[in-house]
Amino acid sequence: MAVVATTAVSEPRIVADAGVRRRRFIDGLATVILWGLGASVILMLAAFVIYLFYLGASAISWQFLTGSPQETTAGGGIGPEIYNSFYILVLTLIFTVPIALAAGVYLQEYAKPGMFRTIVQFSAESLATVPSIVMGLFGLLVFVYYFHWGFSALGGAVTLTLLNLPALMRVTQEALSSVPDSLREASMGLGATRWQTIYRTVIPSAIGRMTTGIVLIAGRIFGETAALIFTAGLSVSANHPYELNPMRSAETLAIHLWYTHSESIVPDVDRIGNGSALVLLVMVLIFNVSARVAGRALTKRFTGRSS
Amino acid sequence: MIAVQAKRSHTIERIAVWVLRAAATFVIVAIAALILYLCFEGLKTFTVDRLPVWQFLFTSDFDPTAKKGGASIFIVGTIVVTLFALCIGGPFGIAVGAFLSEIAPPRMAGILKPAIEVLVGIPSVVYGWLGLRLLVPFLREHTSSASGFGLAAAGIVLSIMILPTVISLSEDAFRSLPGALREGSMALGSTRWQTIVRVLLPSASSGLSVALILGMARAIGETLAVQMVLGNATQFANGLFAPTAALTTEIVIDMPGATQGSFLEHELFSMALFLLLMAMALILLVRFVLRKRT
Amino acid sequence: MIESPQQRVGTREKLVAKDVNIYYGSFQAIKHANLSIPENTVHALIGPSGCGKSTFLRALDRMHDLTPGARVEGEVLLDGANIYAQGADPVVIRHRIGMVFQRPNPFPKTIFENVVYGPKIHGERNHTRLQEICERSLRQAALWDEVKDRLNRSALDLSGGQQQRLCIARVLAVEPEVILMDEPASALDPIATSKIEDLIGELKEHYTVVIVTHSMQQAARISEFTAFFHLGEIVEVGTTNDIFTRPKEKRTEDYITGRFG
Repeated sequence: MAVVATTAVSEPRIVADAGVRRRRFIDGLATVILWGLGASVILMLAAFVIYLFYLGASAISWQFLTGSPQETTAGGGIGPEIYNSFYILVLTLIFTVPIALAAGVYLQEYAKPGMFRTIVQFSAESLATVPSIVMGLFGLLVFVYYFHWGFSALGGAVTLTLLNLPALMRVTQEALSSVPDSLREASMGLGATRWQTIYRTVIPSAIGRMTTGIVLIAGRIFGETAALIFTAGLSVSANHPYELNPMRSAETLAIHLWYTHSESIVPDVDRIGNGSALVLLVMVLIFNVSARVAGRALTKRFTGRSS
Repeated sequence: MIAVQAKRSHTIERIAVWVLRAAATFVIVAIAALILYLCFEGLKTFTVDRLPVWQFLFTSDFDPTAKKGGASIFIVGTIVVTLFALCIGGPFGIAVGAFLSEIAPPRMAGILKPAIEVLVGIPSVVYGWLGLRLLVPFLREHTSSASGFGLAAAGIVLSIMILPTVISLSEDAFRSLPGALREGSMALGSTRWQTIVRVLLPSASSGLSVALILGMARAIGETLAVQMVLGNATQFANGLFAPTAALTTEIVIDMPGATQGSFLEHELFSMALFLLLMAMALILLVRFVLRKRT
Repeated sequence: MIESPQQRVGTREKLVAKDVNIYYGSFQAIKHANLSIPENTVHALIGPSGCGKSTFLRALDRMHDLTPGARVEGEVLLDGANIYAQGADPVVIRHRIGMVFQRPNPFPKTIFENVVYGPKIHGERNHTRLQEICERSLRQAALWDEVKDRLNRSALDLSGGQQQRLCIARVLAVEPEVILMDEPASALDPIATSKIEDLIGELKEHYTVVIVTHSMQQAARISEFTAFFHLGEIVEVGTTNDIFTRPKEKRTEDYITGRFG
């Protein structure tokens, strides 16, 4: 218990007894440990970034970034792989964004609680739980075997669409739900139809958040491997490395990194791997930062507010 | 004039709704097709190749050329690597989640949360590469591991990969607790740590369970990073540092070479189906936990 | 407990606020508050909503420490010792000064676990003693008969009025000297309210009670002393009788007669 200590001349004070002091010590110790854990996460990230730069900086050169990969000799580059990564990214987004947006808008703005709505939400949740490699196998079954496309960028893109649909739907729904109902009421009260309301007021208000989500998901698509190994393949065409045809095999940078490590027989595996890993990391950082910047800029432009 | 305008708006409205509903339907079709195709191909092992299910699940004799399809090594491998990752990443993640919710000042949170977002964005291959370059040599030098590849390497890499998931879900779980709980505890004379451990942790238990389960689900499906450091030896791990194999790693290694229609190919699809069932079971578990809370 | 010199003289001032100022950021919520709370009495704090009475109450057990941006200046003396002095530990203070909140806030644990939470965190481990403490506290809170057969059931299953009495029992279990109550019955129905009021009447025998209330009738019913707050200032203090029948300040009279608030 506490003790009120007094001396002859000074005033009484409230003093902690041994039990309280021990509890305070434990509290302080725990606080320090938790701070340490929190800091270690930051330090871990810093360590990864620094180490990847340290490993890969020497590999980066114009020749590396634009040249073609070599099968057996040293000196290969990753130009076509970078191209393919963006190519598949764009293709995937072309499919994913409209469908996810539409489905998300439907679920959030139109669907009344009932059987259909429950099934759609459940389907989206289930789709989200599918591991990426299982999705890749599904793509293998449908596009490579069933449709007889062989390895194709298109097959990879559609597979990635299925993989990222739930995430983008969730982003859309959350962005839409952050728009206050008073906006919708005001618009409908002026005689607008539901669609007009959504198109003209709700979506513009939500567009900042949606863009942030889309760019972040784009970053994830850029680094995707397991779903593409069996659909888009492990090689680039030797004669036409930068082509627009979606029906050809298209090795992305992420896959190239894995391929270099596991299968490749060129003597400078380490250099290529380090360089590829660094480029991938830099791309992720760029996507991360742009997501935030773009989101904020768009919100400001469309609503005039900063968030 | 107004009537014509109104009629046109309504037509647009109807078309728009139709398009939106079609998109929503697509989602249903997608998952249905996936489950159907996977079941179809994955069950061929048992229907066409006549492998008994119990043999697939519980024997470890894996030799596709000899029609031996015991997948238990991979199943156990997946489970063990996941548990390893959970044992490290779970407590670590919950602790950081509590830190973010209860202790961290806004400045610290402003650095930590973006850092976590970047960690989420790092591709699986890059984690694998880091594991290869940093962790494997370290384990080789400083532990009993011969090559550095093995269970420990994969478990550690995986624990870092699930950390962001566990952290953010744990933080949400703590934040959603009403402030009155903290006030009531502090007003009775407890320290902040006592409040966290004795009141907040138990009160957030369902949310924290969800964090752990979803972390597990993420770990089970992880392929590339694990494959690059696990060692890929078709054997049970006979030690913390021994190389072994998991369902995902086996699929990604052997599928490129499997011919369509072969025993091996069917077997790998069965493994994929098993993975899918595991993942779905975990999600159902999450729903169950959440429903029990209310 | 070592008595302070003041106590031996017999002034029986349990809790004294000296020139207390409370700020939320740059907004000053309480201005130059001086109040003396005699031991073993019920002292009411009344005033229109938003006038700062809850803010003042929370300063009496350093609950503002938990609010970032809140600042308390001045002294609050518990038996002559300033609780805001350098080195004074809030954990000790909150052991001696307990608080009951406006909305019941039982922990999502069993009834038993709720009541013995305080003693447990202060180090009590003996299970028999904990059970004794539990029964004693629940009896004092007039809740024992209603829950004695279901101590292991969740506290959240109780009605609002029962939960509030549970929260009171929880505070009583740590054997405080002062009990602060922030509109404890405002979220309850009239029957539960009157039970709480009866309870408060019994508590003053062993404890000193400071209660914030928006109901003048309640203050008149249960308290011996009353302080009237308005716009962050203590306008008038006196016996409840004096305040309600012979208020000295015009603002007090206006409030009492219902001209505002």
